Amino acid sequence: MILNESDAQALANKVLALSKADSCTVTIGGYESRHIRYAQNMATTNGAPGGIEVRVESHFGKRSGATSGTDFGDDALAVLVAASEKTARLAPENPEFMPPLGPQKYAAGTGFSPVTESATSAMLASAIGPVLREAQAKNLQASGFLRTDVSFSAFATSNGLFAYDRQTGVLHTVTARTPDGTGAGWAGTTHYDFGKFDAAAMGSVAIDKAIRSQKPSRLSPGKYRVILEPSAVSDLIGILVAWEFDQRAADEGRNFATKEGGGSRLGETAFGKNVTIYSDPNDPVTPGGVYSDDGLPAQKTMWIENGVLKNLQCSRYWAQKSKLQPVPGPTMLTMVGGTASAADMLKQTKRGLLITRFWYIREVDPQTVLLTGLTRDGVFLIEDGEIVRPVCNFRFNESPVAMLNKVVALGPSVRTYGEEGPGLPVAAPPLLVDEFTLSSVSDAV
Amino acid sequence: MGGCACATLAPGTLFLGMNPVEAQEAAEQLDLAGKLALADVAMNVAKSLGASYADLRLCRYQSEYFEAREHRLQESSAGLNAGFSVRVLLDGTWGYASSPLVTADEVKRVTARAAEVAKASQPLQLRKFVLEDVPVYQDRWDMPMKADPFKVPVDEKISKLLAINDAALKAGANYATAAFAFVREEKFFASSRGSRIEQTRVRVMPDTQVTVIDKTTGHFASRDGLAAPRGSGYEYILSYDFSGEAAKAAEQAREKLKAKPVEPDDYDLVLDPTNLWLTVHESVGHPTELDRALGWEANFAGTTFVTPDQLGKLKYGSSLMNIVADRSQEGGLATVGYDDDGVRTAGAEFPIIKDGIFVNYQMAIGQAQLIGQTKSNGCAFADSWSAFPIQRMPNVSLAPNPQSCSLEDLFAEVKRGIYIIGNGSWSIDQQRHNFQFGGQLFYEIRNGKLGGMLRDVAYQGNTIGFWNSMDGIGGAETYFLGGAPNCGKGQPEQTAPVSHGAVPARFRQVTVLNTARKVLA
Repeated sequence: MILNESDAQALANKVLALSKADSCTVTIGGYESRHIRYAQNMATTNGAPGGIEVRVESHFGKRSGATSGTDFGDDALAVLVAASEKTARLAPENPEFMPPLGPQKYAAGTGFSPVTESATSAMLASAIGPVLREAQAKNLQASGFLRTDVSFSAFATSNGLFAYDRQTGVLHTVTARTPDGTGAGWAGTTHYDFGKFDAAAMGSVAIDKAIRSQKPSRLSPGKYRVILEPSAVSDLIGILVAWEFDQRAADEGRNFATKEGGGSRLGETAFGKNVTIYSDPNDPVTPGGVYSDDGLPAQKTMWIENGVLKNLQCSRYWAQKSKLQPVPGPTMLTMVGGTASAADMLKQTKRGLLITRFWYIREVDPQTVLLTGLTRDGVFLIEDGEIVRPVCNFRFNESPVAMLNKVVALGPSVRTYGEEGPGLPVAAPPLLVDEFTLSSVSDAV
Repeated sequence: MGGCACATLAPGTLFLGMNPVEAQEAAEQLDLAGKLALADVAMNVAKSLGASYADLRLCRYQSEYFEAREHRLQESSAGLNAGFSVRVLLDGTWGYASSPLVTADEVKRVTARAAEVAKASQPLQLRKFVLEDVPVYQDRWDMPMKADPFKVPVDEKISKLLAINDAALKAGANYATAAFAFVREEKFFASSRGSRIEQTRVRVMPDTQVTVIDKTTGHFASRDGLAAPRGSGYEYILSYDFSGEAAKAAEQAREKLKAKPVEPDDYDLVLDPTNLWLTVHESVGHPTELDRALGWEANFAGTTFVTPDQLGKLKYGSSLMNIVADRSQEGGLATVGYDDDGVRTAGAEFPIIKDGIFVNYQMAIGQAQLIGQTKSNGCAFADSWSAFPIQRMPNVSLAPNPQSCSLEDLFAEVKRGIYIIGNGSWSIDQQRHNFQFGGQLFYEIRNGKLGGMLRDVAYQGNTIGFWNSMDGIGGAETYFLGGAPNCGKGQPEQTAPVSHGAVPARFRQVTVLNTARKVLA
């Protein structure tokens, strides 16, 4: 269910008017989506789900309590507000309580497309048809998921803040497999505009990879020079910046950015000089949400600039305590690319691997952000600058902190999607990386 | 249609005189007559649009979440989330739609939308879905519990969390977090075949962690709590010594900082059930899901190495290995009276691995016929009112040794090994061959005896080789019910709660890594 800005504000004001607390915040979010899910060259579980929720957080002094619900009737809202106030009164004082923000200035959101908003299930099915036909013609099995959605979020405070954002999204991921189960290829990305989305082209990429990856041979595990495609890069940098860049954890001594003897590495050159990662809600390729934590405006934020650790996420409380500026979390991420073409990267690889994407990434050690996970749907051996044959998948044990100190070359940054990342819109380049640690072979295809 | 007035969630004037919380509860407890009336609306609209099958799931989730960090409460929140979805099968093609507005008009609109989705998807339907017959039930099932967590005073729950952290800090932790999450799931299921089923169950999910730091080295260590989430009332929280564990955890985390780094090599492992339940989940539970074997999860969760031609033949593990599946175990997160296809679960318990041989897949409706079988074994689940039911895990457990066998008995036959307690990181490939698991605590085993603590341990293995190397398992007295509230699968992704019973077990010559790294100078 979607509310436009004035309806969302009217609803927020209605809730705020019901509040008897010292202060109050209201969060409203809703979505409508359509999807086609397919497997074995046919549709499986197709749907059009939607939802909406309102959350009220009440404060008495430094006591807080929150309730959320899906019923927007007048009486139900009164009950919701009263319940949150009751919860707040029962809570002990939180010495870290920060009063809600007052009015803020927000950039206009740019991640909305009327074409996406009006997409029908029939249009989605038409977009998938060519993928299935090509797979059948080439005796492959295609599986995938195409979704369009429109969503909104609104945030209001009793101190006069009101933020509203409306976005559209398109996601398509497709896996092609050979009938004998020895080859698999994948492609996937997101966009906000269904009109600029070519699902069939993505299907062709996955199909081509499935054919080329058939009957892989086993290679010994070890440290390899690798070309990581953008999807693989997006998982690793997304996990690092969205989940590990934390000022408080670093200052408290429990983060990769903690220094021996105490304090954080903010301002230090912690990564290779060819590494720059930022977020910008109005990025033309990968727009993100216009507001972030506590209603703080999402702003262009450099996280890593030419290898220097420029910013860590910092809550309003920790910023006040540490005499820093609050740094809200990213609503999108871009890793700045380079000019290396695929041919350039291959040329620079005497012996190495081309990796399509990753699967089942988990943190092994928070001290170093050591991650483990697996390659999936297309790994190819490179020898003397040429792709020579498909090889079996590997398990990796590698830290993105270490990896970003071993980047040899970067291709152009493109909008991409990784299944294992934090779910933000991400633009990332393909990377040529040295000594990537592949610790065992997987027989999975 | 009759009953429209009571089929809405708006309290209107019916609840005047009640206090707000009572009114909210009354308003959102849609009575059975109202649910039945909405079911009739959905079924009639679906039939009129040509659906050969339809079902309605009307759900309400009540939740609470409390989180304390050190001596302060970080979050206290409650939620009431309600809505419904309608699923239709139209000329062999599925379509579904959902809405949070529980009114007769909205049920009509959503049912028509589900049919429209199915019709639009028909050009992509290479093979029609066919559903087997499922017995029709009119029933109500309520999970038995002693203490409703939502009736326990909020301040009592908060005080308990703060006491847990206090115990950790007094025992030397630098940081401590403790959280309780509670969910009451109420589902009404109606199918075009005539079933009308109401069900209620409750989940309690404790989560604790202590951290110690060493400022001079910049190193830190954490120890997560070992209490599993359960399908239970508040009595589970009352029965567990969280404060005692938190104090012990602080000491163990401090010991971790000075523990001996593990030497990478092949070791005999004795895995505590607090660790092994997750290995069972990943390396046995997921590979034996039929939808994966059919390729339906190929684009996300993956397929499986366990292909249908291996049914009844594959030697999955040693003869000590017996894996059972059920949705009836007391305390189980997957325990429920009927699955989300309306299949009764009592009496539907089944073995997955019998004496080391793979004997059964987990199935939802519409799948059994594809491998020459006749009916679902009750493994469908949808994680919300807005989700399509897919095949999800029942409680999948490693059966105990029929004879008594203690941890010490398992250690006794190990010359050089490691004993692992609790879950650390976990990862497995998309066909479930290659896995890597960490843990919370690691101890040397030397010449049959438990030794000192080790650190930086992770074990890697291949599913079939690993389970065939198992040569000792604990008796019933060592049984532990672990579990996860958030197993992911499906697109859009759904998270399922599932429990796994396990006993300690011994595995021979498993690859162990040292996970310590130096990443910044």
